[in-house]
Parts: sequence; structure tokens; C-alpha cells
Amino acid sequence: MHFPFALYRVEGHSMEPTLRPNQRLLVKRGSKARPGDLIVFKKNAKTCVKRITEQRGDQFMVCGDHPESTDSRHYGGVHGEQILGRVLCGL
Amino acid sequence: MNFLRHLLEKLPARPAHAHCDVPCGVYEPDSMTWAAETCFKLTEKLEGLELPEAGNKHDVLDFHNIVARAVAVKEEYAQICKAQVLILWTDYFKPEHLDRWPDLHDKVWKITKQCSTVKRTVSVAEAKKLQEMVAELADIFRETKK
Repeated sequence: MHFPFALYRVEGHSMEPTLRPNQRLLVKRGSKARPGDLIVFKKNAKTCVKRITEQRGDQFMVCGDHPESTDSRHYGGVHGEQILGRVLCGL
Repeated sequence: MNFLRHLLEKLPARPAHAHCDVPCGVYEPDSMTWAAETCFKLTEKLEGLELPEAGNKHDVLDFHNIVARAVAVKEEYAQICKAQVLILWTDYFKPEHLDRWPDLHDKVWKITKQCSTVKRTVSVAEAKKLQEMVAELADIFRETKK
């Protein structure tokens, strides 16, 4: 059985000013995600954290809060099954 | 609450990458593919529209509304397609790829031109051509990953 919460640590600057590098995140696993939510997801074997900007069919478009971010504009959408969880809060 | 926060700060945490705009190797051909497909579907929808009966205000308004929306989205997605192709071209493809596909620059130039053609026209043939050109570039991208 999976514990419903997980802890992650932010690496990188693309979510500034909302999230700082090395900031810890409390993530609710498997919760429903909507545009505006911060999510942790797997993309190309990497675990990433971004904000959902919109939903297109079964894909979520994600974007960093910082203008200099590598996100859906570069690597496309994120499928629902790639989402590991929704960020509840930064610690 | 402070105790809980203190505890959570001590527990191990996995890294979650928040990439900056640096070469991170995270690229894919799906975005340009679905953008080209969207253009094709909308063009097909536009070409398939029946003209409304003259004098029926409601039908005429509906017709213009559908046309305006479909054209606006076609325009938007042709631009997305162009942007996605250019991202692969400027950020992903490297000189060694040009050695293998010497006409890569020409292909990209023609695809981005075709995006403009799809914006300018309402032609299933032109939209299909864009899809085929994008599919060819996507194949090249996938070949580079082998």
C-alpha cells in the first residue's frame, strides 16, 4: 500500500518565485489535478514540478512560474498517468 | 504544527526538477504533431460546412460563429506547430544530425512556410501536406534517439 503523501525537494529555478530551489514539498499522491495546480510528474525518466496551465483531452499542459522555464512549450503535454501527485504546500 | 514541520524537514525527500531554460535534453515531437493534426481537423470542418439559408438570421450567425472560431483556432495551432518545429530546430538538432540529414535546414524552412500556408488558406490538401511534413520531421527526431 502506498502512503498517500510524499516529500520532494525542488531542484532548479523554473518555479520561482512560488518555489525556491531546495524547498521541500508535501505532495498528495494520486489526487485529481486541475489547471492552476502545482504537480509533480514523470517526463522522460525525470521527476519534475510545474504548474498546470490547461487540459487538452487526456493531456495536461504544464509551465514554470519563472519566465525562463523548460516545460510543455518544449516537451509537450503530460498524461494523467505521468502525474505522481499534487503539491499541497511548500515547507 | 511546528513539530510536524520540523519532522517533515528531517525526512528524506526525492528531487523534483524545476528546469530552467538550459539544454536539458527534454524534447519530443508530439507537440508539433498534435498541432498539425488540429489544423487538419479544423480545415476539414471548415471545408465540410454547409452554407446557411439566406435570410435565416440565426443560421447565418451560427455559420459565421463556427467559421470565426475554427479559423481562430486553426491560426493559433498553425503558430504553435511553427513554434514547436523551431524549438526542435534551434534547441535540439545538432551538427551531427545535419551530417546525417543534410537537408534538415531546408525541411524545417519548408515546414514553417507550410504552417503559414495553412494559416492563409482553407485547404485540406495543404493541411494534409503539413501533417506529412511534420510526420517526416518527427521520424527524423525519433531516428536520432536510436
